[in-house]
Amino acid sequence: MTRRTRVIGLGNTILTDDGVGVYAAREVRRRLDGQFPDVDVVESEVAGFALLELMAGWERVILIDAVAFDDTEPGEIFRIHPQDLRTSLRIRSVHEIDLPTALELGRRLDMGMPDEVLIFAVQAQDCLTLGERLNEPVKAACARAVDMVVDEIGRAAVAVDRGPEA
Amino acid sequence: MKKISIDPITRLEGHGKIEIFLADDGSVANAYFQVPELRGFEKFLEGMPVEEAPRVVARICGVCPGSHHLAAGKAVDAVYHVDPPPTAKKLRELYYSAHYVHSHIAHFYALAAPDFVMGPDSDPAKRNILGVAEKVGLPIAGEVLKHRRIGQDIQIMVGGKSTHPVWSVPGGVSKGITEEQRLQIVEMAKSCVEFSKFSLKLFDDVVLKNKAYLDIVLSDVYEMDTAYIGTVDEKNHVNFYHGDHRVVDQKGKEIDRYKDAEYLDHISEHVETYSYLKFPYLKKIGWKGFVDGPDSGLYQATPLSRLNAADGMATPLAQAAYEQFYSTLGGKPVKKLLATHWARLVELLYAAERLLELASDPEVASPNIRTLPTAVPTEGVGIVEAMRGILTHHYKTDKNGLITEANLIVGTTNNHAPISMAIKRAAQKLIKPGKEVGQGLLNMVEMAFRLFDPCFSCATHTLPGQMPLVVDVFDAQGKLVHSEGR
Repeated sequence: MTRRTRVIGLGNTILTDDGVGVYAAREVRRRLDGQFPDVDVVESEVAGFALLELMAGWERVILIDAVAFDDTEPGEIFRIHPQDLRTSLRIRSVHEIDLPTALELGRRLDMGMPDEVLIFAVQAQDCLTLGERLNEPVKAACARAVDMVVDEIGRAAVAVDRGPEA
Repeated sequence: MKKISIDPITRLEGHGKIEIFLADDGSVANAYFQVPELRGFEKFLEGMPVEEAPRVVARICGVCPGSHHLAAGKAVDAVYHVDPPPTAKKLRELYYSAHYVHSHIAHFYALAAPDFVMGPDSDPAKRNILGVAEKVGLPIAGEVLKHRRIGQDIQIMVGGKSTHPVWSVPGGVSKGITEEQRLQIVEMAKSCVEFSKFSLKLFDDVVLKNKAYLDIVLSDVYEMDTAYIGTVDEKNHVNFYHGDHRVVDQKGKEIDRYKDAEYLDHISEHVETYSYLKFPYLKKIGWKGFVDGPDSGLYQATPLSRLNAADGMATPLAQAAYEQFYSTLGGKPVKKLLATHWARLVELLYAAERLLELASDPEVASPNIRTLPTAVPTEGVGIVEAMRGILTHHYKTDKNGLITEANLIVGTTNNHAPISMAIKRAAQKLIKPGKEVGQGLLNMVEMAFRLFDPCFSCATHTLPGQMPLVVDVFDAQGKLVHSEGR
């Protein structure tokens, strides 16, 4: 048994490295090969309210996405929680609501928000050029991110099997 | 010279950067607004079958994918010299009305309401939809989510997918709706009409009945005197999907009017070295620089512009709201920029009513959804009103229908010069020598930007949020003296 987990690969596959989350999710799905019935893998391009709806009803959510942090090498992977993001509730977005706000809103509305949201953020090299291929450093990172997500799911499964003390 | 910049924290969605340069005495010398633009779009489309364009262009943007889908769809009809049957046109407009409902609700409640319900200089930790929900009641937040979702569900039902529709094909649409679905949409639309009425009432109660907020809306910080553009039907009523594109001048008089295919004779684009994004202007008047007033060659393309450029709304409740809008604000055209939020709600009500009207027409469930193209493809232009401004797609193809040239003028690009000027004006009016530049003040500068509901989106999603902004203040020597939001 695992906690009901949804893996969400976010990205746009026609914007070069921006597709990394989507490619990673596809590979995670292939690697898991249905061995964990409580784990669902989806690909998506959404944010804000729509992402809130995608997360509702799952105990744990793992997001994989491209990021462009300052002073960071392309291909670096960050394993973070929403509260680690440098954006916070106090920063509103131009179009909709940011992730921490979405989570909080979902909680207040009793939408069954996940207890845990884990983010694997891959530093992109280029997300502005139209293209359907990842740049090399990001491609390598994509494979590492897949390993990390699969490990994470496997570890969680083992921990649940051994009971709460494990 | 001092410099203030409002900068994104992380990329993801296309980001803008606002820089405000202060003079030695602390007053605002100038303001620039920069955005990175997608690269290689024309090249990406080149060689592609033109009927693929509606599907592909929808993917460049997760904020208004439906607008790109339909503008490209109309352009492709024109490329193939084919006129879709009435059912297809009605279905496209029905789909698009649902898109408007969904988008305008999200913008108003997530981005506009916090400034007014909570106050422009309120605690930023509460100046968001959570604060709004706390103040006006949590059930309202539930209603916001519900109706935004209805807009999205109708798009899925009709267009196959909400974010990336795969539906518009040369001469019509790939699938129709059943009678049962039509009746379902009628009920959904009724609920949207009620929620739109509620939203206008909320604006009335919270903003118009609050003198302090009304004063902000009417203040000279947020105003601009340019021409206005909007698409109108045969009665000169606002229409989002088809019609003539009408331009009115600073006095509200029609000075230009064109059909989709004629856009190049009416709109030109100016280039500045500091920005990849161009600055469109009225060809008839010419580029007069970043100036407003009677000689300006600039136009705005926003909900406010669409109302200003039209003679009214095509549906009864929206028409009543339109009349109240102008009687309250002192006649046409309205030049107060923050009234754009109110105009957006008038449009929300129109979109909901139009959705209901179209869904109530049994013809939308007819199976006659496509005219098969037979002519040799050549060239075509398609224009719709994207939520954030008029959207133009133009394609040329070879005789096999492969794209040889593509040109797009997207919604926000129309407003590029007006946004820059609105920011500069607000900064100049608000930031004064000797006055501390605080977070509340900078939020009020940002409000001048936000009201345009700008979209420089390149990726269709973003993890932390979309296009967060950071404000940096640099002194006269270029040293960072104030940073907000990092």
